[in-house]
Amino acid sequence: MHIWRDLRGTVQPFWITLRNMLRKPVTVQYPEQKQQLSPRYRARLILSRDPDGNERCVACHLCSAACPVDCISMQAVEAEDGRRYAAWFRINFTRCIFCGLCTEACPTLAIQVTGDFELAGRDPLKLVYEKEDLLVDHCGHNSEYNFYRQAGIGVAAPRGTNSTESEPVDVKDLLP
Amino acid sequence: MSDPLLTLVLILAKLGVIFGVILTLAAYLVLAERKLLARMQLRYGPNRVGLFGLMQPLADLIKLLTKEDFLPARADKWLFLLAPGISAVTALLTFAVIPFGPPLELFGKTVPLVVIDLNVGVLYFLAFSSLAVYGIALGGWASNSKYALLGSIRGLSQLISYELSMGLAIVPVVMMARSFSLTEIVMAQEKIPYILLNPVAFMIFLISILAESKRIPFDLPEAENELVAGFHTEYSGMRFGLFFVGEYINLIILGSMVTVLFLGGWHGPWLPGVIWFSVKVLAICGFFIWVRGSMPRLRYDQLMHFGWKVLLPISLLNVLVTGAILLGMG
Amino acid sequence: MPTLTIDNQKITVPEGKTVLEAAEELGIQVPHFCYHKELGAVGACRMCAVTVQEGSSKGLKMSCLIPAEDGMVVTTDDEQSTTFRDRVGEWLMLNHPHDCPVCDEGGECQLQEMTIASGHGVRRYAGQKRTYNNQDLGPFVAQEMNRCIQCYRCVRTYQDYCGGRDFGVMGSRNRVFFGRFQDGTLESDFSGNIVDVCPTGVLTDKTYRFKSRYWDLQEAPSVCPHCSLGCATIPGGRFHELQRVRSGENQLVNGFFICDRGRFGSGYVNHPERPRQARNNEQLIGMDEALRQLDVEARGLIEQHGPEAVLLLGSERTSLEANWLLQQWAKKLGCREPVLAAHGPRHQAAQVVAFDLSDRLASLEQVRGSDLVLVAGADPLAEAPMLAVALRQVVRSGGQVIVYDPRPVELPCEFDHQALSPLALLDFLTAGGSDGQHVRELLQHAESPILVGGADLLGVEGLQRLKKMSLELSNDQRPCLIYPLLSNPNSFGAALLSLPEQDDLLTRLETGRVKMLVCLESDPLLEAPESDRFSVALTKLDKLVVLDYLPTPLSVHANLFIPTRTPVESDGTFINNEGRLRSYAGVLEPGLPISVAEDGGHPPREFSTVSPGSDPLSASRILQILLKDDSSLVELHQQMVADFPRLAGLTGLTPSDAGVRVADAAARNVVNIDLPEQPVGTLQLIVSPARYGSDLLSRYSDKLEPRFSSAWVMMNSQDAAERGLQEGDKVILDTETGSFCLPMICHPQLAAGCALVENSAALASLVPGAGISYCEVSREVSHE
Ligand code: SF4
Ligand code: SF4
Ligand code: SF4
Ligand code: SF4
Ligand code: FES
Repeated sequence: MHIWRDLRGTVQPFWITLRNMLRKPVTVQYPEQKQQLSPRYRARLILSRDPDGNERCVACHLCSAACPVDCISMQAVEAEDGRRYAAWFRINFTRCIFCGLCTEACPTLAIQVTGDFELAGRDPLKLVYEKEDLLVDHCGHNSEYNFYRQAGIGVAAPRGTNSTESEPVDVKDLLP
Repeated sequence: MSDPLLTLVLILAKLGVIFGVILTLAAYLVLAERKLLARMQLRYGPNRVGLFGLMQPLADLIKLLTKEDFLPARADKWLFLLAPGISAVTALLTFAVIPFGPPLELFGKTVPLVVIDLNVGVLYFLAFSSLAVYGIALGGWASNSKYALLGSIRGLSQLISYELSMGLAIVPVVMMARSFSLTEIVMAQEKIPYILLNPVAFMIFLISILAESKRIPFDLPEAENELVAGFHTEYSGMRFGLFFVGEYINLIILGSMVTVLFLGGWHGPWLPGVIWFSVKVLAICGFFIWVRGSMPRLRYDQLMHFGWKVLLPISLLNVLVTGAILLGMG
Repeated sequence: MPTLTIDNQKITVPEGKTVLEAAEELGIQVPHFCYHKELGAVGACRMCAVTVQEGSSKGLKMSCLIPAEDGMVVTTDDEQSTTFRDRVGEWLMLNHPHDCPVCDEGGECQLQEMTIASGHGVRRYAGQKRTYNNQDLGPFVAQEMNRCIQCYRCVRTYQDYCGGRDFGVMGSRNRVFFGRFQDGTLESDFSGNIVDVCPTGVLTDKTYRFKSRYWDLQEAPSVCPHCSLGCATIPGGRFHELQRVRSGENQLVNGFFICDRGRFGSGYVNHPERPRQARNNEQLIGMDEALRQLDVEARGLIEQHGPEAVLLLGSERTSLEANWLLQQWAKKLGCREPVLAAHGPRHQAAQVVAFDLSDRLASLEQVRGSDLVLVAGADPLAEAPMLAVALRQVVRSGGQVIVYDPRPVELPCEFDHQALSPLALLDFLTAGGSDGQHVRELLQHAESPILVGGADLLGVEGLQRLKKMSLELSNDQRPCLIYPLLSNPNSFGAALLSLPEQDDLLTRLETGRVKMLVCLESDPLLEAPESDRFSVALTKLDKLVVLDYLPTPLSVHANLFIPTRTPVESDGTFINNEGRLRSYAGVLEPGLPISVAEDGGHPPREFSTVSPGSDPLSASRILQILLKDDSSLVELHQQMVADFPRLAGLTGLTPSDAGVRVADAAARNVVNIDLPEQPVGTLQLIVSPARYGSDLLSRYSDKLEPRFSSAWVMMNSQDAAERGLQEGDKVILDTETGSFCLPMICHPQLAAGCALVENSAALASLVPGAGISYCEVSREVSHE
């Protein structure tokens, strides 16, 4: 038995709370005073665009797989030029817990968190965001990355012309 | 006026005053609790409605009254509707026997400042605090929800366990005062309050009523992080409000009981009795709030262990020792 | 049997097993790419490195190549092996385009898994990546060569295993390329398998392009409903849409692969015109109402007009359970026993298989292991594609395949072909001629001979002769087994349940006593010969009730239509051609696919507890409702076993099982059938199923459309010359069913004296398996 330790453990909290009671509170008076949010604050999600102005999202389903509450759904389709993109993309913000796991999973930096946390409303359906509501006109946190310029499948640039690639080989060439 | 009529009018007047005071007090106790907890955690607490948030209880009342009154599917309708009432009414009724001031001289009559001065007031108190269990048990059972059921089962066993040591902590007081009447117990403490004469009984009583009031560290019946809201999970609106108010009325009652049994009731120098009584009650309530701000919740096994293996033996021993001393002193 | 130690665990494996397989048995996963259970090892990828500590040759080895030896000690997790595998992973990733997010393989990609398993994580190589140009490989397979890791699995599957010739490896050094000589549709009927075997995203399913991720798919073990073999498949769907089918594994039947008809023929489930609501004539009604009407009217008619008034028609493509329940419903109604197949002759032939041949049936696995297969009256690619692949395995392992069939049969392997007309074929089976003698001798000396017989062409008579032949060729050492080909996934099941020698559909309809016909997943207009006789008989009915999931022509005529569920939407059992009970599990709930309902847009924004088009119930469920029977599938199976002891294998059967044979039946009396005399100057008419679009399900499958053939009539070059006809001429084909104006093609390998047509959407009224009949071919008279 640790009588001394237990006693101290019982009494000390009272002392701490008593002291706290006399300190000056730190509350920010929210609607009047706005807090300076951290740039990494996790609230409403957006779908950003790449530096060329194209949709970044390739509808790869990784965010929806990572999402612990399964609130993202989408359907991928193919554009004329072979680009894979989302025909529709839906986030149900009544379910989202703003954990940000989707943004960590996203290989194209398309889905990003913003500081817009003022989402409360009376109609739950208004919180079901479709692609039109999510897609923004800027690059978000990163203004350089363009997935299709890294992935060598000839969508943003002809095959074999990305910076890390060589010309397509001539398979009928038998020279050593 | 004829005598019985006057008595009746006086009782009604007292009842009215007590109802008014207790309900208001309960409401503001809620506010006080929220404020104090907030300050302990370095926030303001409610400060939007009225000056310093003083109108918050009113806002809460309006909110509770206007919220949807929800009845879960397949709940036991009548029991479900009845339970919150039982909880609040038993708490209120207990106050009937508590003397909150020295007898007054009014219209040439001695008016005791207690609704009914029963000569078995202690037993009345014990009986009603046992009845309060029904509110929880029935509410949890009738909700047809596992959380509510678990909460009410916890509540039941906790209340029954701690009632034992609570009763046994009162026995020495009764022995010392040689009366079951609460007024007489207060009278007996005119010189020295029993807290000084029998501090062990006081401690046991204090701990037991913390458990009786289902407050931290004994709030297992409603443990939010395990049982959502325990026995009142399925309640909404004013029915939840009744449970809620019942809890705070209970707090006042229990504070009053401590005051009556151990702190010498209305006795005190300089100030009028009623004021002394109120100050003591509020101090106990303040202490309860402070405990809530400072302590964690016990585990269920710890609760049972503490009640049966620690508190009960000590209180039994205390009865024996007190009895022996009283015998020795003749 | 060598005993070896791998990572401190001892295991004994059969002689010839490799270390990789031994490790797998112990549950130790050695990363690998090029090794595949069916294709074996080639040592191309170098991923499976382990270290041999004790053994005939020590050191770092490729575990897929070294056979297990007695006393061998192997470690898979030592420093040397793990570093080596890490480096291999890194080098395989050197040229990878890093495009997993837009790759359909992602989530079920061995390259992803093995790269993680090998430990490679961060790219260090700063040089240029090699790139390729892609080819268009047709409607089924998409190619993205930049992802290739040169494991050669595709070529080994396409060329070696399935016998395709137009896809291979070319190029040299680090430019090896897997594809065709030039852009173009893959010719093989098994092209889809390279999608399954390719461990990366080079070869993916074009019909499933960008539809779903593996982890979002609802999948369950199922049975292919496109022919009678009952191959194992795994359909996958999402958002109420059947999006793809991949092959399941069943060593007794298909092994690891399936044919393109089974893989890409699933479009019928999402057919745009699929009826999804019950109908009373034109008026849409609810399911409850429809079933109530059916019940009330059927009972009323029987009360009024006696047991003949209601005729229940089962089907060879509906489940065993539904057919059996249909019989129970008939008993309850008090009407005559149901007819379980619309196509009388086919049904009779199937009964010969289900009863008379049941004790001498081979499995497809036994066919693969045989050393001499005689194919009589069967065109495997058209009737049972996976049999063709099995025959290829016979030839690959040194066996021989001999085909006697009037058609110019093609097989993906070397074989001897004799074109005999159907009548000559029957003679051949009874040892007619020196040819017959010669083949019999060969079979006599074979170790495990197998006779493949197509029920459509041989008919009852031919199958009985085949049985006699098999009896004669069997001896004490070994049996000579038969591998029959039937027409539908549950032909065997329907035959097993029906009473022998019951009247067929048309006979009963034409008595005129039938007032109400209930067709359960069956359309005699498409699935039976003599559709015009049937059309006439229909007019005598008071009421036509159709329960189906296809928008068949009959369903349009129905007075009462009730939608049912496809096999991928329900649980049930088929019996395949060799009498194996194969059960399947539902993958999807029926409903209008979101992609269709919303026209490619997002799902609806209103909340609703029912989704559009979710009315259909499975045929067996509907019958259970009519029978007021609430038993579960297991209880149903118990009752069926009690009723038909041959179905004992149903007890405990699950969809992931390989399937259990039904019990043998006592042989019945042999009936001799008189063959019709051939009128002078006529040709024997051969109606063969087309490879694609002959079975109803693939006919309603849009994905297969590029493979559908047009209608033609084929003649032997000599016959054509005698009639003064030339290839491409428009000719009139005069048959018992009617006259058809078709283009004529010549083929030297078609048996003389025969005319061949293919049953398909383009020529639907000529149905195979109708027995021997004769026709005339003449030049079209121009009306100028
Ligand atoms: S933030 Fe978390 S919960 Fe919200 S969509 Fe992303 S993964 Fe899902
Ligand atoms: S992870 Fe990124 S790219 Fe992939 S679907 Fe989600 S938002 Fe689009
Ligand atoms: S295409 Fe696929 S299967 Fe063929 S070699 Fe490349 S990775 Fe292997
Ligand atoms: S062989 Fe027959 S059963 Fe097998 S996959 Fe092809 S069509 Fe389906
Ligand atoms: S699996 Fe052994 S070398 Fe590829």
